[in-house]
Amino acid sequence: MIYLDNGATSFPKPECVCNAMAEAMQTCANPGRGSHEAARAGAEMLYDCREAAGELFRCLPEQVVFTMNCTQGLNMALRTLVKPGTKVVISGFEHNAVTRTLYGLGARVLVAGHRLFDQEDTLRSFYKALQQGARVAVFTHVSNVFGYILPIEEMARACIRRGIPFVIDAAQSAGALPIDFRTLGADFIAMPGHKGLLGPMGTGILLCKRLPKPLIMGGTGSESARQQMPDFLPDRAEAGTANVPGIAGLGAGIRYVMEKTPAAIGIHEQKTAAKAVRILKDLGMEVFSGPHQLGTVSFRCGLDCETAALALAQEDIAVRAGLHCAPLAHKSAGTLDTGTVRLSFGHDASVEHLQALQETVQKRLPPVM
Amino acid sequence: MKSFFITFRSITHAQRCERVFTAEGIKCHMRRTPRWMEERGCGYGIEAKLTELNQGLEILRENEIPFRKSYLFHPDGVVEELRYDLS
Repeated sequence: MIYLDNGATSFPKPECVCNAMAEAMQTCANPGRGSHEAARAGAEMLYDCREAAGELFRCLPEQVVFTMNCTQGLNMALRTLVKPGTKVVISGFEHNAVTRTLYGLGARVLVAGHRLFDQEDTLRSFYKALQQGARVAVFTHVSNVFGYILPIEEMARACIRRGIPFVIDAAQSAGALPIDFRTLGADFIAMPGHKGLLGPMGTGILLCKRLPKPLIMGGTGSESARQQMPDFLPDRAEAGTANVPGIAGLGAGIRYVMEKTPAAIGIHEQKTAAKAVRILKDLGMEVFSGPHQLGTVSFRCGLDCETAALALAQEDIAVRAGLHCAPLAHKSAGTLDTGTVRLSFGHDASVEHLQALQETVQKRLPPVM
Repeated sequence: MKSFFITFRSITHAQRCERVFTAEGIKCHMRRTPRWMEERGCGYGIEAKLTELNQGLEILRENEIPFRKSYLFHPDGVVEELRYDLS
């Protein structure tokens, strides 16, 4: 299979990830719950991953909270900062993980910036929304549909200047772009463990500058005589037994990424995506491309996007079509009615991937009318 | 041999202490805090030789690792809480 669906999850995982998970299954018991060797091994496994994540994203190990995915982290962050009626500015490229949560919380949402690959437009609209009284900001680092890299450093600085708490959704960038938590100054950065960080599905990380409001409450292995949840990290946000095998795999994935470096991975994905853009354009596809684009490319052809994705799947090429859980991004790009076919390249993208793509698109997908 | 024992609210803080102590050449080990020492319930602590106490406390302060209390373990089994200002 030619796997071009890394925006959904990276696949296949590096061997070291699978090995770490198998080892954890055989050696680790419940961390933080006992003095015996197996409990201790579980705790060490968790801490190893926290420490690696802290090194990669420049924060303290205790600021690394384990979640089951990016969505859970975003929910925790938004529920901490947003109350009914809070004015929240978001970019025009947010995922439902952000927009549905804000809708559910009763936030007053200001959408800033709809023009694809136009960082100036994003910034201009964002500054305007801040002036209009936004009290919280939430923005994605990279659009999951189009690969557009938002100017998050400038957006972060604008929030800090005005004392506005902000959350970054690093779903598509963690592991593929450098992220410096300390310098960005975000209140929270949420990310999946199973995409660019190459860990297993069911893992995620929330980097916390402040204490989050717990999504769930229960045992933490600490201060057990008290009925209040601990008021310190990471315990406050991690009630219940951790996904130790998953986090072991995530730790191995993070170390793999650190060895290659996110910057190098990102450049590789960008170059591959740029080549894919040329191939698709030459074949008559309508391709959404521009500057500031990471390893994700959306396009439309002469077929319905789901029909096109099925045709590619029948040729053993894995892509994703539809709205990608991001109707706002599609609305911004003018593709809400049709959806798009999305190719998302990973760290292992190769010339063979591109050759297979070219041959199959030529064979199965008609150009746009 | 006398040793000291520093308690932490979170296992993660204790683990960071253990790693930093080890990196600085202080031999230590982590274990659960005896129940009577922690009125709030479960916690973890780090034990090391008493001769390393001052360096250990300095390291904790430098690295901003939050901790709860500090105890002295005598060879005869007597345990004494150290009343230093640990903040």
